[in-house]
Amino acid sequence: MSTFAQAAEDHLDDVYGYLAWFTGDRAVAEDLAAETFERALRLWHRFDPERGSARTWLCQLARTVALDHFRSEKRRLRREQLAAPHERTYSQFADSLTPELESALRALTAGEREVVALRVLLDLDASTAARVLGISPTNCTTRLNRALHKLEEALNVAA
Amino acid sequence: MSQRDVLAELRHARVSAPPELRERVRLVALAEKTPPRKIFTWRRSAALLVPVAAAIAAAVVLTRPTHPQALQVQHGEAAITAPKTFALPTTPKRVERYGATLSLRVHDQTDLSDSVKQALRIATSLGGYASSTHVSTGSAQLVLKVPRTKVVLAFAQLAKLGTIVGERVDILDQQVTINNNLRTMARLQRQLKALRAQPQTTAVKREIAQLTARIESLQRANANTIRADRYATVSLNVSTPPKGAPTHHGHGPLHGIGVAFTWIGIGLLYALAFGVPLALIWLVARAVRKKRIDALLNS
Repeated sequence: MSTFAQAAEDHLDDVYGYLAWFTGDRAVAEDLAAETFERALRLWHRFDPERGSARTWLCQLARTVALDHFRSEKRRLRREQLAAPHERTYSQFADSLTPELESALRALTAGEREVVALRVLLDLDASTAARVLGISPTNCTTRLNRALHKLEEALNVAA
Repeated sequence: MSQRDVLAELRHARVSAPPELRERVRLVALAEKTPPRKIFTWRRSAALLVPVAAAIAAAVVLTRPTHPQALQVQHGEAAITAPKTFALPTTPKRVERYGATLSLRVHDQTDLSDSVKQALRIATSLGGYASSTHVSTGSAQLVLKVPRTKVVLAFAQLAKLGTIVGERVDILDQQVTINNNLRTMARLQRQLKALRAQPQTTAVKREIAQLTARIESLQRANANTIRADRYATVSLNVSTPPKGAPTHHGHGPLHGIGVAFTWIGIGLLYALAFGVPLALIWLVARAVRKKRIDALLNS
């Protein structure tokens, strides 16, 4: 059985990449990734390799952490918008992406981005990605197709 | 740009964790202790407990003795030689009123007649007597008075006369009544003593007479209670099987399985009654949660 340190070493990039695309903010993704691994260490005894790979398990945890973040962020934004208009800063999804694709990705919703991250960036198969998302594989594929279609449209409009 | 190109470009993009994060995670991983692997995970526990519980339930159901009050007629030596009767609790130091009813079934009218004779013999041999006897075709009702100290023995012997189809034991504690009477008598005695010390006027004499009568009445009541309760009342009902009634020759080999299925059915019914609402609540909660997450991610 792999140790936690080994799993962390092997899947850090995946978890970070997933969170970076999911949140659209690398700084936030960094914090969330660290929180994910802290939580993973606490829950490592619950990890069962027979039920899935460490990568899937870590992605599930990362998703929970990210959802918590989105919820708190939503509450925070609601409070702050009452006081002053919110100004949001963006970071790049990846260094090698064209600016058009970057902005097209930015235009996607977080839900669409996460399915792209899982299926394309992490190269998970439909059933594993669906398990992370808590939906059916068909639904997962539909979401991916919809997201890709949106990206395609946005890029064609930009061209 | 086609979807294929989009996919190719996205696949080409690699996101690497920054060194600071790598260091942070490395530090987190350093804190890892190797906790002993849990031997009893919930899955293993369930895998162990479920068959054990099922085995216990099956054993209880299959080995459960036939209830004596069930109207299940049993013939044969086994039922007669090993009667199962209630354990009669006896507390010899207390005055208690015992009442017991025993219903027996015998094969035919000859057996019925023999049983009645035998029952009377048992009662007299134990120092008791028959308070009443009614015998008719197919049934007999006897009320036997048996010394309280020998009621267990009487019950055991009477139970051997046929197959038990019903029994009942009533025990009424009389000690409290007797104690109350004794206390009242002591109080009345004190009053009597005080009255006797007074000048014996007509009114005082009348009061003394009343008190004396009351004390005597209480003494009689106590004596009657104690005397009556020396004997237990055993009502014995002996009957032959009703004509045309199907004769059951004990349980068949599949009886246990039938009982087990009955209990499993009852269990399933309860599980459905409790499980379905819980499952519905769980499904609704899950759907609401999913909807909220979708709304959060698509906003």
